[in-house]
Amino acid sequence: MSTNTIPCTINGKDVEVKEGSTIIEAMKANGVEIAHYCWHPGLSVAGVCRMCMVEIEGNPRLQIACNTQVVKGMKINNTSDKVKDAVKWTLDFHLINHPLDCPICDQAGECGLQDQYMHYGKYEPEMAEAKVKKHKVVDLGPRVVLDSERCILCSRCVRFTDEVSKTNELGIFNRGDRADISTFPGKPLDNNYSMNTVDICPVGALTSKDFRFRQRAWLLKEHQTVCTGCSTGCSTKVFFNKEGLFRVKPVYNEQVNGHWMCDIGRDVYKFVNKEARLFDAKVSGKGTGAGNGLGAEWILPKRAALKVGETLRANKGKGVALVLTGQHTVEEYDALLGFFKNDLGSDRVFHWVNTVGGGPESLEAFDGLLLRGDRNPNTAGLKESLQKFGIKTQWKELLEGLASGAITTVVVAGPENQTFFPDFKAKVVELSKAPRLIWLTAGKNLDLDNLTGDVTLIPLKSYLEKSGTFVNHAGLRQKIAKGLTIVPNALSLTEVAELFAGREIEAAESCSSIGVGRVQNEATTVRGSL
Amino acid sequence: MAEVKYLSEHYDKKEYRSLEGYKKHGGYEQLPKALKMEAAKIIDEVKAAGLRGRGGAGFPCGMKWGFLPNNGEPRYLLCNADESEPGTFKDRVMMERAPHQLIEGMLIAAFAVKSHKAYIYIRGEYTGPAMILKQALAEAKAAGYIGKNILGSGFDCDIDLFIGAGAYICGEETGLISSLEGYKGQPKLKPPFPAVQGYLRKPTIVNNVETLASVVNIIRDGAQAYRKYGTEKSPGTKLFSISGNVNKPGTYEVPLGYKLMDLINNECGGMKPGRSLKAVIPGGSSAPVLTAKECENASMDYECIASLGSMLGSGAVIVIDDSNCMVDVLSTISHFYHHESCGQCTPCREGTGWVEKIIHSIVHGHGKAGDVDLLIKVADNMKGRTICALADAAALPVTSFVTKFRGEFEYFVANRKSMVKPNGANLGDAHVH
Amino acid sequence: MSLVQRPKPIANWFLPGILSGMGLTFSKLFWNLVTYVGGNRRIPTLNYPEEKYEYSPRFKGNHVLTVKKDGSLRCTACMLCATNCPADCITIVAAEHNDPTVEKYPISYQIDVLRCVFCGFCEEACPVDAIRMGPEWQTPGLNGASFNYDIMQLAYRPQLKGGIASVVDEKERHEAGI
Repeated sequence: MSTNTIPCTINGKDVEVKEGSTIIEAMKANGVEIAHYCWHPGLSVAGVCRMCMVEIEGNPRLQIACNTQVVKGMKINNTSDKVKDAVKWTLDFHLINHPLDCPICDQAGECGLQDQYMHYGKYEPEMAEAKVKKHKVVDLGPRVVLDSERCILCSRCVRFTDEVSKTNELGIFNRGDRADISTFPGKPLDNNYSMNTVDICPVGALTSKDFRFRQRAWLLKEHQTVCTGCSTGCSTKVFFNKEGLFRVKPVYNEQVNGHWMCDIGRDVYKFVNKEARLFDAKVSGKGTGAGNGLGAEWILPKRAALKVGETLRANKGKGVALVLTGQHTVEEYDALLGFFKNDLGSDRVFHWVNTVGGGPESLEAFDGLLLRGDRNPNTAGLKESLQKFGIKTQWKELLEGLASGAITTVVVAGPENQTFFPDFKAKVVELSKAPRLIWLTAGKNLDLDNLTGDVTLIPLKSYLEKSGTFVNHAGLRQKIAKGLTIVPNALSLTEVAELFAGREIEAAESCSSIGVGRVQNEATTVRGSL
Repeated sequence: MAEVKYLSEHYDKKEYRSLEGYKKHGGYEQLPKALKMEAAKIIDEVKAAGLRGRGGAGFPCGMKWGFLPNNGEPRYLLCNADESEPGTFKDRVMMERAPHQLIEGMLIAAFAVKSHKAYIYIRGEYTGPAMILKQALAEAKAAGYIGKNILGSGFDCDIDLFIGAGAYICGEETGLISSLEGYKGQPKLKPPFPAVQGYLRKPTIVNNVETLASVVNIIRDGAQAYRKYGTEKSPGTKLFSISGNVNKPGTYEVPLGYKLMDLINNECGGMKPGRSLKAVIPGGSSAPVLTAKECENASMDYECIASLGSMLGSGAVIVIDDSNCMVDVLSTISHFYHHESCGQCTPCREGTGWVEKIIHSIVHGHGKAGDVDLLIKVADNMKGRTICALADAAALPVTSFVTKFRGEFEYFVANRKSMVKPNGANLGDAHVH
Repeated sequence: MSLVQRPKPIANWFLPGILSGMGLTFSKLFWNLVTYVGGNRRIPTLNYPEEKYEYSPRFKGNHVLTVKKDGSLRCTACMLCATNCPADCITIVAAEHNDPTVEKYPISYQIDVLRCVFCGFCEEACPVDAIRMGPEWQTPGLNGASFNYDIMQLAYRPQLKGGIASVVDEKERHEAGI
């Protein structure tokens, strides 16, 4: 790849562009606005929407910017009347058979047709003939629904299944204005990257079954974060409002995931929502038989942590073990390990390794695109911290300790996303053999609730509610920032470590909260920018 | 000047179809001659003859052959026998009457462009010609004209027949290549051009049946003898397919530059009794229509027809007399393009449908004021905005029909009936879906 | 621009004001007594609840969800009313309809009338004439919960006698290709 630049003129402005780039790339690089549908930086050039028309000096015909390479001294213009007229009419051609579904279309508010109509629209409809009728609500696969009438046949989704997922489920059938996106008989769109087709669809033709009809796009706020679905650590953004989180979409990150993310990663918002969360700390007294919370005491997490800390420190860490998973941030590991190592002088820290697909070798599995067998965002970070504190332990030492009675108290920093821990139930049984169990968890779990004996459950913050660092499989450190509050009283492991050590923590800084009281209609306050 | 039988010299003999008959009349005599020549020499000869592509665009054939890059990649020669332009049937006649003439021409062309694999892409509806070609290919293979080491020259060339599924768009060279590759027959983006990256992303030459057949005569008589016919810029003879309201429609070979009116009045036996000429479409349905007045001095060569604002195309002359309603005719044409648009580029996919719907509503008496202007606007905005020329092919007749016969369209819109056939059934009814 | 009117010094004298006010009150009282006795009913007060005032058809009273000819809700759950609502009193839960021609419909549509400011923006925002502000304003309730109107109340309350059908004709709409 040559990094030489060549001079050219875009809309009368002299710019330097990378040699070999197409006009549309040059325009994007220089922040020039250009209409387009079928061109996508992550896919091949199709050149079918004909929206990116530009005028090149010396060429009587308008050319498409996506398939024309910039040559030295090229004078490109996309603001002339000729270009504007062409774009206006091409957009109108897109719209003449497009149904007026906007009120019930999930894409409304983030739709390419709506956005570009604002800029380039003809505003005097001349189409007075009947529109072409096509199939609506076509089930393409387990996660994607198609509305053929809304489709503008940009072929992005077809090229995606052809070039990126390489599964070739989609095709364009029939021709002319009867052309239709569809799957082949008996071959549904069922690959782990199928929902990317929904993202790249510039209109509402492909919609996600998971998100379908649940919210309108303009009622949602975004928060950029890192996916915790596996050790790849794709850059993502979550969409939420006061009713909860609704979906996850990828964010372009050249180093990690490019433009895409997998369907498994799109489900990781589900365990964060308040329906799945533990809200208060639960302390069951010794021998109360506290099944289903009966006879248990529900207290503020902060108080519970302080209480646990007191007993831990009183015993000077005798017989205390800590279990960690690869689901928390580096800062949290350091704080908690610091407390155990320095304050308690304990070396009994164990790494709970989860394997989703069979044996330990499945941790190294990779599907060739993004998804990895290690379904923890921060296994590398945990290993780093353990090494830093000089901790080398085996899981069987914990079991031996429990069996011999050497370990009397187990503190578990449990996984946030329990679905990736198929051995969760088995581990709960295993660890509940300890006379005293302190389980830090973000999510509710029936197995934990049903535990009897001296058990303390303390609610943790999810990855969206705290700041920190994840280290992905390749050692790339990615910062995540606190974006919202779902469980107001939940603690991060850092806070837990502080409280264990008997130190008070500062009140949490305020930010968007979910399900906490009524607020002013946020949609109307930003109406001006709709 | 009158009809000349240069290419079609022996077309009237039934035996010409078989290998023996073809050889009896001097067939396969040019192939050994060509194989002894240098490849570059053949290209120069074709260039000197000024042979222009007979498929529609009229691009100089020798020049096209010269575009092939010298990068050692395998090259392909494709014969475009997907003759789908409404009104054109000359290639069918050539393939039926003289399949070996095409095969010989292809072998010479393949030798000239150093291609060892050639395909004949024939449209799906041509089952008869396909059978004849299949048999001819088998005969030629058996006789050693096709295969390894042709006539001991050391040149290998294989020719295969590919039967398409019958789509207009597969007559476009990149559409043809897509179809041949096994994909949906959709034109590809240019650049890269087929001469650089065509069939299987290798350099490819696509030529029309008549172009390739003409090569035989050029090698036989030399460039100068070939230039004896036709005009300076459009040399040679051409087969014209004449259809419509004439007494003797059919395929006629005349030198380029022949007067259109002579063609209609002499070769075709003039108009039907009691009828007068209203309009002529000179180059297949995609060519802009010429009015009777414009036809008077028109001569059938690329330049003259272009100067009249139309194109010679594939040489399909459709003669329209005064009994025809132009709205009806355009309705039929626009239905064809709506049906045949591949649906790739938006302006063509939506525009062809839109145009057909407007004309359809006019023909059915639902025309609205402003529809005639809208037709021109829509057609104008389809032109030159797509990957291939189908949008232009669909838009050009609309523009020319509406501008040249505006009165008829406006009459139809205003009075909800045809100016020409006030009581007659509308042709458009046949196409209602 | 705002005009500030400073009170004149005479306004500090209260007695003239009180007297003129009382004069008006008593003149009205006198006039009403006279005309009531004379049978001329020009008293602006009504004997509520026996008598009720007829409001203008433009009156913005309690919301009504209109229905289609078959009696089902016209609302498509596009949430434009909820978006536009300045009081944030509309809560809609959308779902997929079994009939693919309907596609999206509300399984729950709630208006918290106690929060509603009766501005009529929901009516304005609705693209399918599904919500209207009706003529009713007498809406008693026993507790806060009875002011959280659901679909049964908004579309099918007894006063509506089976629901108000919208004038938008489904067949016409389909024929027009919308």
